[in-house]
Amino acid sequence: MLTLPQSYVDEMIAHAREDVPNECCGIIAADGAGAAAKLYRALNAEASPYRYNVDPKDLLRIYRDIDDNDWDVMVIYHSHTHTEAYPSPTDTRLAAWPDAYYVIVSLEDDATPVVRAFTITDGEVTEEELAVS
Amino acid sequence: MKVTVYIPTPFRQMTGNRASIEVPGETIAEVLDNLDQQFPGVHDLIYSAQHKIPAHINIYVNNQEISALNGDATALASGDQVAIIPAISGGAGDDDSSTASAAAGGALTAEQVTRYSRHIIMPQVGSAGQRKILGSKVLMVGAGGLGSPVALYLALAGVGTLGIVDFDVVDLTNLQRQILHQNDDIGRPKVDSAKETLNAYNPDVNVVTHEAPLTSDNAMEIIGQYDIVVNGADNFPARYLVNDACVFLKKPLVDGSILLFEGQATVYKPGAGCYRCLFPAPPPPGLVPSCAEAGVLGALCGLVGSIQASETLKLILGIGDSLNGRLLIVDALGMDMRLLRLRRDPNCVVCGDNPTVTELIDYDAFCGGASTGANAAAQVGA
Repeated sequence: MLTLPQSYVDEMIAHAREDVPNECCGIIAADGAGAAAKLYRALNAEASPYRYNVDPKDLLRIYRDIDDNDWDVMVIYHSHTHTEAYPSPTDTRLAAWPDAYYVIVSLEDDATPVVRAFTITDGEVTEEELAVS
Repeated sequence: MKVTVYIPTPFRQMTGNRASIEVPGETIAEVLDNLDQQFPGVHDLIYSAQHKIPAHINIYVNNQEISALNGDATALASGDQVAIIPAISGGAGDDDSSTASAAAGGALTAEQVTRYSRHIIMPQVGSAGQRKILGSKVLMVGAGGLGSPVALYLALAGVGTLGIVDFDVVDLTNLQRQILHQNDDIGRPKVDSAKETLNAYNPDVNVVTHEAPLTSDNAMEIIGQYDIVVNGADNFPARYLVNDACVFLKKPLVDGSILLFEGQATVYKPGAGCYRCLFPAPPPPGLVPSCAEAGVLGALCGLVGSIQASETLKLILGIGDSLNGRLLIVDALGMDMRLLRLRRDPNCVVCGDNPTVTELIDYDAFCGGASTGANAAAQVGA
């Protein structure tokens, strides 16, 4: 189960809305106890409504910061602007972080964003419960 | 010269949980090779089956991503900081036309793992082998008796790009054996019917249709787009044309033919003999009948076609002993199989030591005229 404070969920939705029509992406780090420690908005190098790719330089910066703090990459989030909050074949194929939660914010229904969490290991998608604290 | 390589947490299981490692090397490629020496398995994690660094791995030299530098040939200086971080990417996707080809370098999707599980669980295939199949490009010459079972099994196996060249339309006499086509397809171009059938079985496969006769004008261009060619041609000019083009383009050719109750199959690998080593000249016109003239047992197509499909998959996977250098002769009436040894002929006019045919010729004229040294054992049917 993934537990995130309401403020983190709100921040992901806000980021998704700001980046419309493109997909947004970012990373949430967790401390040693598994509690959310920081949300990093990342630059989508693809700047595309259909693809995201955390800009390599931005990724290195964020990753170094997380590692220097002895945190872990807990959540990798991105938005789907016109499809449901479920990993697409592209998401599944490119998922290279088996220990992270993949969180997808769907703006399919603009008025009621949907946020769901998954793990993706060796091409297999498992939905994880998302608890908001 | 040594550089420091920074390993992120997803990869630290490979390095005994060490975050940074001193590795010798003049270039990124050397550093990665040396890293693999120290920690076997790193190579498989970082390189794709095609030995390329896939887009989902970012490698940095002093905070610069190497795709902005010189790729894995990027030169290093002593004390440089190298970092390897899996990319974070994905997206809803605008279409999935790239799925099969991209899968060659990346992970299999959940659906692919399930679909191909009976192949993947075999140690000779595995997920690495399945990715090779998904990344392969095979050209099927003919969508008839042999082309049907070959294309069907290759499509089911997940061959990523399957080209089909045929200019015929489906007619009623085809339906006794050509399992790509059905009653409702009569009158349709065979390539259209074939593509529809193959994609109904496996939408993963990119079926590329070439609705034209293969000729000396287009053969090099069409065959050049593929890794392996499978022969299901039904006439001698096409067989010599495909053979010669494969020799010139250095493409392996998986050959097969059928007539009456008898079939033949073999594999010609570049530099190891060709169809002309076995049959230097076509038989005189009329000596060897075609299937239309003499008939063919429909089920024989499945027998020989499955052998061709098996040989093709073995070539893609690089496993087993290929039929290269051996001609398999199947007699369905006596249900007997024989293997004949084949040797490359050093005097062969296309693949011999001093070839005299170095470009495609007029094959209708070649097969239509009187010939010497004709071999009536050659089969033409498909």
